[in-house]
Amino acid sequence: MDVLQYAWLIPVFPFIAFILIALIPKRTLGWEDGWGYAIAGAGGALVLSSLVIWEVLNGHTLTEDAPRTTWLIIGDYEVTFGIWIDQLAALMLLIVSIVGTLVVVYSGGYMHAEGETRRRYYAEIMLFISVMYGLVIADNYLQMFIFWELVGLCSYLLIGFWYQKPSAASAAKRAFIVTRVGDIMFMAGIILLFKYVGNLDFAVLFDINSGTPGAPTVPSDILILSTALIFGGAIGKSAQFPLHEWLPDAMEGPTTVSALIHAATMVKAGVYLTARTYPLLVQTPESLLFVAVIGGVTALIAASCALAANDIKRVLAYSTISQLGYMILGLGAGGYLVYHLQDPNGYTAATFHMMNHAFFKALLFLCAGSVIHAVGTNDMRLMGGLRKHMKITSTTMLIGALAIAGVPPLSGFWSKDEVLAAVYHAGDLDPIFLLLWVLGIVTAFMTAFYMFRMWFMTFAGEARSTYHAHESPKIMTIPLIILAGLAITSGFALLAGDGFKAFMELPIEEYVIPGHESTFDIAVEIFTDPLTYVSLVLAVVGILLAYRMYYVPGFDRSIFARGAAGTMQRALENRLYISKFYDDFAYKVWYGFSIVCDAFDRRVIDGAVNGFSYLGANTGGVIRKAQSGNVQRYASLIIVGIVILLALLLFVVPWGGW
Amino acid sequence: MIPIEYWLILSSLLLAIGVYGVMTRKNAIVVLMSIEIMLNAANINLVAFSSYYSSLHPNLGTDATGQAFALFSIAIAAAEVAVGLAILLSVYRRYQTIDVDKINILRW
Repeated sequence: MDVLQYAWLIPVFPFIAFILIALIPKRTLGWEDGWGYAIAGAGGALVLSSLVIWEVLNGHTLTEDAPRTTWLIIGDYEVTFGIWIDQLAALMLLIVSIVGTLVVVYSGGYMHAEGETRRRYYAEIMLFISVMYGLVIADNYLQMFIFWELVGLCSYLLIGFWYQKPSAASAAKRAFIVTRVGDIMFMAGIILLFKYVGNLDFAVLFDINSGTPGAPTVPSDILILSTALIFGGAIGKSAQFPLHEWLPDAMEGPTTVSALIHAATMVKAGVYLTARTYPLLVQTPESLLFVAVIGGVTALIAASCALAANDIKRVLAYSTISQLGYMILGLGAGGYLVYHLQDPNGYTAATFHMMNHAFFKALLFLCAGSVIHAVGTNDMRLMGGLRKHMKITSTTMLIGALAIAGVPPLSGFWSKDEVLAAVYHAGDLDPIFLLLWVLGIVTAFMTAFYMFRMWFMTFAGEARSTYHAHESPKIMTIPLIILAGLAITSGFALLAGDGFKAFMELPIEEYVIPGHESTFDIAVEIFTDPLTYVSLVLAVVGILLAYRMYYVPGFDRSIFARGAAGTMQRALENRLYISKFYDDFAYKVWYGFSIVCDAFDRRVIDGAVNGFSYLGANTGGVIRKAQSGNVQRYASLIIVGIVILLALLLFVVPWGGW
Repeated sequence: MIPIEYWLILSSLLLAIGVYGVMTRKNAIVVLMSIEIMLNAANINLVAFSSYYSSLHPNLGTDATGQAFALFSIAIAAAEVAVGLAILLSVYRRYQTIDVDKINILRW
């Protein structure tokens, strides 16, 4: 039996769970208000995903000849739904299935106090995971776009899970509307491609300008525009600058949802889209430059915002944006390498970082959830000293922090180093990549600093407020331990077997010269490259700086209240005024424009309508006076009329000669 | 034989008298009587033209079509008066007046 043929069943499992949780009457639902069904749905998808991943690891893929079903026929074009399982999709399936299942398990403990509203929570989580699977296995842009929008809908529902809180309701709306800006660009890109190719299947589109007989051709400027627009969708979904501000606000949702959004589903969709579009992107160096610059700038801006955040989840949110910036930067630089040198290293590095980030970021979020569960606040200034009470959480979070900071041999070290190496390498082709590499290396330093600032503020020192902290139940700590294990080991995928690179270059093998490096060579290259030690030293310096400032007592933090440092601190606390800029833009510019529109509507449009109605009413008011009800006047008028008619017939008509 | 012009002048005068009565009198019964006068003016015209037509075509013999129409017209006038008086009677019962200036509620 060929498992890959049945890959379309992966999203069906969580979808059935969603239907069951949503429709079974409340009294008979049982199983912790749907938790059991959610576990079953996520677990079923995990098992099938594992089988599919195993097949892909054995070298089987199912792309151009995958089974399809026709959904609609529009003119000559058949809209089909199909599956597309290659190494990239398998990687995403791995991320979504593992993180999704662990988050659902963890939710059993974290959401325990929510009571009956958990039913809505589990239903929405199941739908979220289901549509994310659907997005991953899509074989054409339209199918991908449909699931893309459903992912946006689910994130809206889950960020606004506590919709009774005004801040949660507005954060949900913000997430929905800001990502919609990107979605419209994505849609415009698809429509542009469809206009020139008349098809949206990856199988057809990825042949564009390939020169094989029957392959569609698209003018290069159109291709640049459409790939840039499709990447615009990723800017919105993956919270890249300048559409990144929704993600920190999205922390209003339950922490488990944040973990899912940040590690597996929503924001990874944007990176996945960019990686999926690679066969088109590598033909358009202009778009790739745009991708890389957006990624590099986002990484730095988000990391600097994380330096001053006091909300534990907000630190993690900014760190997610920053790490997504890394992935996007890696994809942009990697595309440049593919375009000029047929070198797949950037692509493999970025997707590698995507996988490692999924594990350590899910770990960090679930740890933060465990801390919030214990302390009851998000504010790190009110925490401190939790290490004594929460041994498992503090240890696993330390592992997560070390992984994201890039300390060997944890996973973040390998992939971050690979991304930075690829960017530096692309610097030979275009000096702008050297600048982006500097941004990346500064970001690496900041990342190490703010992650350890967070860890020291939360777990070290003395308690800064009164709380009765306790370790979370096993149902929450076991997922933490599993994820910690993955955060330690997933980096070794680079060196295991034939190596991650050899695996991940297969989706784009047409465009690259496959590397024949052995994994031993890769390891040697990493450890003999001086750049590795630059980033490593910077990470260690960041950690030590955080240690000095937030662990060793007696550091005078009042320098951040005055002078240049104070200005800097205030700017960072206000999120570099980007959020404020959007608010001002909305309140002043857009609201002003709305006032003008409103006045135009009231005065001009309504004025015209009301004017016509006044005209009719007043004319009627005048003319109705003729209807006096006096029959003698009617008779008189009839006679006058007859006389006039007679006069006309007798005199005017003969005189006129008619 | 009286010339046709005399009959036409008579009927015109009767019509004018009837129109004047319809337009000016307040009493609805007088208005009804004026309408009868106008009808009779028309009847005179019918009879007059009938006889005139016969005198113009002596070889066709006497043509009585116009006179027959006048008889129909008189019969219909009788029915019309009956209906009109019945309406006036019920108007009077309702409003205690048959002044046409006062019966003007069918208006804007």
